[in-house]
Amino acid sequence: MDFQEKIVEVTREIFETMVMVDVTPGEPLTEHVSRFTCSLTAMVGFAGFKQGNLAIHTPDPVARGLTGDFLGMEVDEINEDVQDAMGELANMLAGSLKPFIADNGEKVELSLPSVVYGEEYTLTVINKADWMIVPFTVSHGDFLVCLELKKQA
Amino acid sequence: MPKAVLIIDDSTTMRKIVNRSLRQAGLEFDTILEAGDGQAALDILAGEKPDIILSDINMPTMDGLEFLKNKANDPSIKDIPVVMVTTEGGSEDMVAESMNLGASGCVKKPFTPDQVNDVLGPLL
Repeated sequence: MDFQEKIVEVTREIFETMVMVDVTPGEPLTEHVSRFTCSLTAMVGFAGFKQGNLAIHTPDPVARGLTGDFLGMEVDEINEDVQDAMGELANMLAGSLKPFIADNGEKVELSLPSVVYGEEYTLTVINKADWMIVPFTVSHGDFLVCLELKKQA
Repeated sequence: MPKAVLIIDDSTTMRKIVNRSLRQAGLEFDTILEAGDGQAALDILAGEKPDIILSDINMPTMDGLEFLKNKANDPSIKDIPVVMVTTEGGSEDMVAESMNLGASGCVKKPFTPDQVNDVLGPLL
């Protein structure tokens, strides 16, 4: 399964239909990123036959800008609206990727979105996981879409 | 005749997206009502009777399925069509259950205005 292609495809579809902004994909990262500064991360977990998570990592200005695009208004701070909007974005990305993750009809369920934000934080996947991180560019700046799946035995 | 819609979703963002999609689909509503969960929707429906309802499934306090059950037991609102708004990868069982409970259709996120019109248009 080429997750790079699927991540690009679903991100483009969601941004163009729901956020109504153009998004440009970059080349997948060759090194994992787990430390973030002045950022917001929205995550949705996968459980069942396949386990892992989908995360969207955005610098504060990008999170605020995308929320403004969603809501049609200026957003000056990371508030409940921003957390809600980014959580919805992660939810839609995970939902759109789910059919490709459970590619043989195996049962995979999604968690509720979680959002973490702050001046500095580190996110770590405890178990060994395969990962794919694709950077994207919008008018407000760059963000990352990260898919991590537990290594199959 | 003026038309009214009730949008039920615990996400403020999704309510705004649905609202915008309705406009872009060319579905004009004079009144747009909003509720954050099924119970709040029932409270609104005690006084208002929209022409159509769009509802999320997973919500706190009262989810979309419980809302459908309660709506079906109220003669004053049981015939108002309800379209479920769900995530593409959401539980297929819950979508099927919502149809069994009387939902008239389902729109999966991400959706285009045309997809919204295709489902809602015939119900209005």
